[in-house]
Amino acid sequence: MNINTSRLDSKDGNRRIPFTQLRDLLLPAFRRYRLRILGGLAALIIVDFLQLIIPRFIKQGVDALEALTVTPSGLLRLAGIIVLIAVFVVFLRFTWRYLIIGFSRLLEQMVRNQIFAHILKMDAQFFEKRTTGDLMAHSSNDLSAVQMACGMGVVAAVDALVMSLAAIGFMIAIHPLLTLLALLPMPFLAFTTRVLSAKLHKRFATVQEEFSELTEFSRSNLISIGLIKAYTMEAFQTDRFDRLGKRYVRSNLRVAVIQGLITPLATLVGSTGMLMVLYFGGCLVIEKTITLGDFVAFITYLYMLIWPMMAIGWVANLVQRGLTSLDRIYGLVTSQSTLPDPIFEKEPERFAQPGFRLTDLTFTYPSGKSPVLHNLTLNLDPGMHGVTGRTGSGKSTLCQLLVRLQPLADGMLLFGGMEVNHLPLAFTRSHIGYVSQEPILFSDTIAANISFGRPDAGREDIIRAAASAAIHDDIMTLKEGYDTLIGERGVKLSGGQRQRLALARALLCNRPVLIIDDGLSAVDVATEHEVFAGLKRHFHGKTVVIVSNRIKLLSMTDHIIVLADGTVQSEGNHEHLLATNSLYQSMFTKQMQQDSQEEVVLP
Amino acid sequence: MMDYGYSEEGRQASLGDLQLWRRILHFSAPYKLGLFGAVVISLFITWATLTLPYLVQTAIDGSITATQLPSAERVAGLARNALFYGAIIIGVFFASFFQILVLEWVGQWVMHGVRQSLFSHLLHLDLPFFNTRRTGQLVTRLTNDIQNMNEMFTSVIVTLFNDLLRLLGILVLLFWMNPPLAALMSIFVPVALIITIFFAQLARERFRAIRSQLAKLNSFLSETLSGIGILQLFGRQETSRRTFEDLSAGYLHRTLSQIRLFGTFMPLTEFLSSAAVALILWYGGGEVLQQRLTLGELVAFISYMRLFFQPLRELSQKYSIVQSAMASAERIFQLLDTKSIIDQTLTPVTIANLQGKLEFRNLLFGYEPNNLVLHDISFTLRPGQTVALVGTTGSGKTTLVSLLLRFYDPQEGQILIDDRDIATLDLKQLRTLVGVILQDVFILQDTLLANIIMDTGCGRQQVEEILTRTGMDRFVNKLPHGLDTPIGDGGTELSTGEKQLLSFARVLCRNPAILVLDEATAAIDTESENILEQAIADSFQGRTSLIIAHRLSTIRRADHIIVMARGKIVEQGSHEELLSHNGHYALLVAMDLQNGH
Repeated sequence: MNINTSRLDSKDGNRRIPFTQLRDLLLPAFRRYRLRILGGLAALIIVDFLQLIIPRFIKQGVDALEALTVTPSGLLRLAGIIVLIAVFVVFLRFTWRYLIIGFSRLLEQMVRNQIFAHILKMDAQFFEKRTTGDLMAHSSNDLSAVQMACGMGVVAAVDALVMSLAAIGFMIAIHPLLTLLALLPMPFLAFTTRVLSAKLHKRFATVQEEFSELTEFSRSNLISIGLIKAYTMEAFQTDRFDRLGKRYVRSNLRVAVIQGLITPLATLVGSTGMLMVLYFGGCLVIEKTITLGDFVAFITYLYMLIWPMMAIGWVANLVQRGLTSLDRIYGLVTSQSTLPDPIFEKEPERFAQPGFRLTDLTFTYPSGKSPVLHNLTLNLDPGMHGVTGRTGSGKSTLCQLLVRLQPLADGMLLFGGMEVNHLPLAFTRSHIGYVSQEPILFSDTIAANISFGRPDAGREDIIRAAASAAIHDDIMTLKEGYDTLIGERGVKLSGGQRQRLALARALLCNRPVLIIDDGLSAVDVATEHEVFAGLKRHFHGKTVVIVSNRIKLLSMTDHIIVLADGTVQSEGNHEHLLATNSLYQSMFTKQMQQDSQEEVVLP
Repeated sequence: MMDYGYSEEGRQASLGDLQLWRRILHFSAPYKLGLFGAVVISLFITWATLTLPYLVQTAIDGSITATQLPSAERVAGLARNALFYGAIIIGVFFASFFQILVLEWVGQWVMHGVRQSLFSHLLHLDLPFFNTRRTGQLVTRLTNDIQNMNEMFTSVIVTLFNDLLRLLGILVLLFWMNPPLAALMSIFVPVALIITIFFAQLARERFRAIRSQLAKLNSFLSETLSGIGILQLFGRQETSRRTFEDLSAGYLHRTLSQIRLFGTFMPLTEFLSSAAVALILWYGGGEVLQQRLTLGELVAFISYMRLFFQPLRELSQKYSIVQSAMASAERIFQLLDTKSIIDQTLTPVTIANLQGKLEFRNLLFGYEPNNLVLHDISFTLRPGQTVALVGTTGSGKTTLVSLLLRFYDPQEGQILIDDRDIATLDLKQLRTLVGVILQDVFILQDTLLANIIMDTGCGRQQVEEILTRTGMDRFVNKLPHGLDTPIGDGGTELSTGEKQLLSFARVLCRNPAILVLDEATAAIDTESENILEQAIADSFQGRTSLIIAHRLSTIRRADHIIVMARGKIVEQGSHEELLSHNGHYALLVAMDLQNGH
């Protein structure tokens, strides 16, 4: 999927040379490392010339042998020169490789860091448009395409150019017409290599796509192995896997057809040139137009031409792919966050007890047609506010707007009495603690995850926050307690545990605003209730917004907002809503009915 | 979607592991004709590549420099050679093309076979196995490791075989032409081989270092991307930018060290090639002067030397591929050899006319032998009875279901269906008899209908009938295209409640004799909840059912309630009985009422 979209938006990148992109992304690196590049290119060109000189010495030797004008010591001298040149070549080859390929890696790193720094600044709308997979592809595939073009691409292009010009030059010096005959098949090779490798690239992309499908299929099956077994789906799924596998095999064979053509074709074309030289060159020697030494040197030069000819097609593809990728990377690093982030001339004073004021707030997701929230007018002053409503009523969107992950027009939201769009993002956010619906933790120790917003916090503070979120006891059952690693390579926590950790993380920050988007949904009602009852004191003087569908929790708040279809259906305290709002009433009846007996089971 | 740089401490599989080769050959047995064809082609290609320089040589010696012959005859001889040359290069073109195709064809199908048997083997392994393995690792076996092995068939066998054959051929030719010079040239073989192997090993280490750093970089990136909002809200951009740059610098460092390595070794083979030419010119030239070698032979020697070093260079690359392929093969076969602990009986009993009696008898079980999760659990469900299991998390309810499905075998005790130990039943039959509705559901990327039917062979009508009877059609009708709505990745996302409904429909399609329901713990939307209640009421009627209950409405529907705590049954009876007992159950109810309103 990802590959498809990126291929689509790359289309126009192929047509023109993206000068702006080259200038903005690559020029700084080229300028910074100009000496390195120049040194590398110089080494490369010298190597090419030295390589061309070696056949001259061979020619000399063969000619002298034919004319019997050479002595054994003369031969030894020739051989010594060849070895000496070869030593020098080894040294120079190391030099260009280290300088130029090394440069491409340095450039890669510069661009990679630039991409990352940019991503960190982007807003939720940006991430809505681009999936994690897409962004990962930018930083791996696209980046390596650019790196390849700037490294091996440059080397191959320069090398091919110098080698072919020089080799052709030498060949012309020997015999122009023979040169023409020998080179006749070469353009054909360059052309077909280019066509074939473009096709190969496309087919290979299909293979890769199917490979990831296979991977995903295996992963999802193995991860839910219990379910597969419970439903005796083993044979059924093996069949499905078989179908995917067969399709994958076929795509691979389609790649093989092209791959199987490229090398033999190159050999064929090279050998055809050789055939020309053998026959026509042989005739020329018989006619005494050229010497046998010329003939042998000619063959050597022809061998030298095969690689540059193949390289031309290859380089063209490499550069094109590099430019396309560059274009995509450029699109990425020049995308603007839709959230205005003004810079304060002087650091403003922090708000002591800020609240939110929403006036006619309307919000539509870029991908959506109709607004998710419309004409919301609300006051969220210090105190506890509950937000409830059916799925899709806009509760989470409201939270995202409050924590400034989504953009808003001017005049819709005041924070601490100030227009939010006039406040720097970091400033606003530094007032807000947030617990999202889906608890997001990082691969690190538990302690580091809790102190995420306050890295300087001491162990006691961390423990206190953990205890307030009722996760301390769970942590203590782990072998390494707070130093336990969690995440990919560490211990797996249950959903409820993760949520409580996320809550502890927000509590530790002790910020004047706390927004909890259904943050303990995977925790049973009793524990949730207990946690919040304990936090009531902690919440004093703060603006706390809790999204929940649990009546018991909502009834603890001072002010409950019932959202329906993106508008406020009603607001007020528990008693008020119980008396007036039908949705709230039905939720109450339903939950009380279960509640009065049911939660027995849950603790 | 991708496996970013798979870096695993691979075992050093030795190339001489005959056992391994035998097993690989076993999988390729069905394709022996193809392989044989590839070998024949290989022989042809080798012969042809070696003949070409020979043709040039005979052209030089027999025609070009044969000044004693008349010109016309020399040209005619040259033309014969040229014609032959042309025929061979065309032959080589087709032969190489077919060889690559045939080997790819064989390799791909062999790998498909290995992949299928591994996948099927994995799906049939028991759960204790999966508890000790990371999914990512197993997926790697199925994908990257098999891919690695495939490399062996395609690039390696072609090149390795062709190259070795060519090396051998060249040596033979050289010796045939001029033994002393050939002997001199063969010094280069061990030198080149040592350099090559040494380099391959160093390169492998560097590659591994690079890949593991890339994996770190990528997993940091992906974690950052998935937690970007939180990162921004907690103001951690600067820290994570620094971490990323450190990782990135580490990557750069490793790639540069690899470049240095390649920069040192790649020119070395070139050097050897030049040195060989110099040697031929000096020594061979001397031989020519003494008339022990013709000029044509000298030129041929120089050409052969070039052919000689090309395979040596490739061997160094292929060497590491073969090695990693062998390591992959070893890991794959190891996995294929893993046996389930849970024995499938060889002579399974089939139960005809199932009554549906279910008995748990003196069960003793722990995931680890000395950490028991269930202590002496015994109870019986009469045919058609509904029993609710009630208890706190960790009381062992879910474990009981796992034992009933024979995901694990108990340390002691038995589970009996119609008085027959489930260990004597065929696993598949057992799991068909017992239909479980779990909280989680495995969703195929397909339509809802396909997801319900799966491999049961039910017709659409039958499904609709079941759905209507249980009232679940209300849930289906809510979806944009009803039963034909695509669900799963890229399709409609199902809510927790809807997932449980799907699970329900799936199980009812299979019409199991015994129903097990693991009720959703999480709050589910009211609508699904209502539908679910009706479905439960309808389908549990007259069917032996075991419910891990979380809702009182469900508990009250049960004929019998079993209260579990810490792996033991602490109370049982009907709702009223238990309440009047004033024990565990009643206490929990009372506690809850206190907390409530």
